[in-house]
Amino acid sequence: MYTPVGHMATRQAGPGGLTASEHRLDNGLRVVLSGDHLNPVAAVCLWYDVGSRYEVKGRTGLAHLFEHLMFQGSAQVKGNGHFELVQGAGGSLNGTTSFERTSYFEIMPAHQLELALWLEADRMGSLLAALDEESLQNQRDVVKNERRQRYDNVPYGTAFERMTALAYPEGHPYHHIPIGSMADLDAVTLDDARAFFRANYAPDNAVLAVVGDIDPEQTRRWVEKYFGSIPSCDGKVPPRDGTLPDIIGAELRVEIREEVPARALMAAYRMPRDGTRECDAAGLALTVLGDGMASRLFSRLVRRDRTAVTADVGLVRLAGAPSLGWLDVKASGGAEIPQIEAAIDEELARLRAEAPGAEEMERAQALVERGWLDRLDTVAGRADELCRHAVLFGDPQLAFTAVNRILDVTAEEVRAAAAARLRPDNRAVLVYERVTSQDAAGPAGDQASGADENDMRDGAGR
Amino acid sequence: MTDAAVTMDFHPQPAPGQPTPWTFPVPERGALASGLTVLRCHRPGQQVVAVQICLDMPLEAEPDGLDGIAAIMMSALSEGTSKHTAEDFAAEMERCGATLDASADYPGARVSLEVPVSRLPKALGLLAEALHTPAFPSSEIGRLVRNRLDEIPLEMANPGRRAARQLAQELFPASARLSRPRAGTEDTVARIEAAGVRAFYQAHVRPAAATAVVVGDLTGVRLDAVLAGTLGGWTGDAAEPAPMPPVTADDTGRVVIVDRPDAVQTQLLIGRTGPDRHDRVWPALVLGTYCLGGTLTSRLDRVLREEKGYTYGVRAFQRVLQSPAPHAAGRATGVSVLAISGSVDTASTGPALDDVWTVLRTLAAEGLTETERDTAVQNLVGIAPLEYERAASVAGTLADQVEQDLPDDYQAQLYARLAETGTAEATAAVIAAFPDSRLVTILVGDASQIKAPVKALGIGDVEVVTG
Repeated sequence: MYTPVGHMATRQAGPGGLTASEHRLDNGLRVVLSGDHLNPVAAVCLWYDVGSRYEVKGRTGLAHLFEHLMFQGSAQVKGNGHFELVQGAGGSLNGTTSFERTSYFEIMPAHQLELALWLEADRMGSLLAALDEESLQNQRDVVKNERRQRYDNVPYGTAFERMTALAYPEGHPYHHIPIGSMADLDAVTLDDARAFFRANYAPDNAVLAVVGDIDPEQTRRWVEKYFGSIPSCDGKVPPRDGTLPDIIGAELRVEIREEVPARALMAAYRMPRDGTRECDAAGLALTVLGDGMASRLFSRLVRRDRTAVTADVGLVRLAGAPSLGWLDVKASGGAEIPQIEAAIDEELARLRAEAPGAEEMERAQALVERGWLDRLDTVAGRADELCRHAVLFGDPQLAFTAVNRILDVTAEEVRAAAAARLRPDNRAVLVYERVTSQDAAGPAGDQASGADENDMRDGAGR
Repeated sequence: MTDAAVTMDFHPQPAPGQPTPWTFPVPERGALASGLTVLRCHRPGQQVVAVQICLDMPLEAEPDGLDGIAAIMMSALSEGTSKHTAEDFAAEMERCGATLDASADYPGARVSLEVPVSRLPKALGLLAEALHTPAFPSSEIGRLVRNRLDEIPLEMANPGRRAARQLAQELFPASARLSRPRAGTEDTVARIEAAGVRAFYQAHVRPAAATAVVVGDLTGVRLDAVLAGTLGGWTGDAAEPAPMPPVTADDTGRVVIVDRPDAVQTQLLIGRTGPDRHDRVWPALVLGTYCLGGTLTSRLDRVLREEKGYTYGVRAFQRVLQSPAPHAAGRATGVSVLAISGSVDTASTGPALDDVWTVLRTLAAEGLTETERDTAVQNLVGIAPLEYERAASVAGTLADQVEQDLPDDYQAQLYARLAETGTAEATAAVIAAFPDSRLVTILVGDASQIKAPVKALGIGDVEVVTG
């Protein structure tokens, strides 16, 4: 699926002359190092090639719950020692779990880099020495409260979960989101967690990036010293195939009657896989459509028709299944959903029919370029992108040229991406209609809710 | 429990290397002929330049009955100018890869611009246009008013926002602007019209009462010339300092439940008021509050999250609400909110609150440990170079200093003062900040399930409200 564009095997300079080197330890750990001496800080980012797509029926949420367990101690690190040591060294840290990967990072004052490497190696090699029932029970409760806080106790909170479940059919590895279900979280056993660790948490299933004020030779020696003796994977299985037809084939639609503050219209579209030129074009199509206060949907729905209070779009880039383009419109005052939907469909039809003009392309590409500058502005952002490109596309250096590939996309390619994907027969639609507490309740099991759209990519922080 | 599969070589925990000294940057201060104060700060490598315009326009300045007019006026600055329609203005900014945000807060108003350095002159030109010649078209003002009216119910549906609103209303008298929402209520916003917005702008927005903060990699940027050609064209009258009357707060220990039938969690917000950054206790307060609830390994989360699993996380924090320059007589009227915030599953509400009070009482009885204080200092001071990697973070703190009438080297000095603060001082500060009998507890949750267990705790009268 991956089309290399401007891909070079040798190290190359990225924006601002950024470079990275890559090597592999004998046990399979891939290591990416990138120096930047402007600030006395260093980021350690470790991506494991495992996410919620590896989970099986009845065990949704396991990858994310496991991420929490990674902070509960290992052979040489007691209890919450990982947190205590990093923070006590003036560092910050977290972990995130998505459909496709689990990542951990420490951002350290540069002179504390070795501590972060020691900590990451200790849990990669010896987590099971410390993992016990008490930690599992405790973090299960924490994660259930995370689910309540982020999904179940906010208006529209389960919208993204519902759209995902519609866009990826029952049984598909991306049918459920990383947070998982309450029942499945309850069902996780210590043996599940141990097996999950053995299968996925090993050097040959990970990429380590160290970025910042580092001495590359010294860092290389530390990585070898701490990670070099950790054995390779035991029982890693490839992820289930995420292949799906490019388009859904017919519009799927669910209407929810709930006690929400405003009517809402949301939709999910199957989009091209991440790492392809078509995905970049589709991303630009969504930017033209809904990113910024000069986007087509904002201009149409919020400024001119005044039927919406907000109109947001986004792209959840996925490498192992079709990506997910989403749209989220909250209605203004008494505006009705059919009126909003007709306007959106007109805008989509226009985007499918005509290539965006030069100024619109300039606007979209400037916003995308800005997003990349923001991401590469910090050592942690750079480390994360190096890991992402190594894990998902096999080459960390691609991170430095990603923006060039996007700037290379033409207006006609943007139109073609819209024509191929942004069509009514390729969407799952979620309509929220308001009820008051006196009215009859909606479908059984529905509850008030609402995801933080900015955070849809990830299941959770620490 | 051990695992036979552990076969790696273990090494002892490494010792740190030699730290590289780092200090918070002190900006270069200057002014344009128009009276606009300029703070600039060169940050190598930061290709996205952050610009903050601080306006000395506290919400106290809003006319009676028109709460929210400051927020509407700030949003409207970029909704049409002498040269651009609202849509064209947004498109021009976005073609620069720029983001522009405007907000009005209790101590003052801000416009924040972030833009790649190559397009800084163009974006600054647009910003100057927004500040100097906003058109305030009636139609756009009408749209912003309606948009704001639509946003209010969306915000109030969010348990965290709802709790914050209730706490402000409980702490401050209704006559104080601090008791009422920043962006107004349905009643006040509905009364806002274009003429009023124009008059408010005329009265309060002028370069003599504003400061521009510019931070980023300014290599090769002729900033003086760029400023002269852009913000330099923004002119206006001299300005009087904005009023900031003293405010009283009622922190009588009590509980207010905002009823949310069937809510699966209870949002907690437990707070009272405290000093601002001019107060000498501030570093000790920051340190003590961190030990109480700054992170997952602080006292609150150690129990509520990592032992009991009641929550995804509870935090203690302080946030400055107004911070005038201290009077000559030393009688500051600065005020901050000190609070503990988080959410717990409905069934655990009573037990979780019980634990919060136990943590506070234990702290009051036994104080902080030396180790706790040391770890907190190491984190709060050590983390500075990480927190200020981005130009926008530096600009944000410099703008806070301006808004709060603090010296330009305040943040740099704060790190030194944190490092000097002892365990006894931090203990005294946090105990004084969170006395167990003078905390207002807001709970957004299912009153039918949580009222009885909360009442049984004896932490104050329990009132239930709706909405």
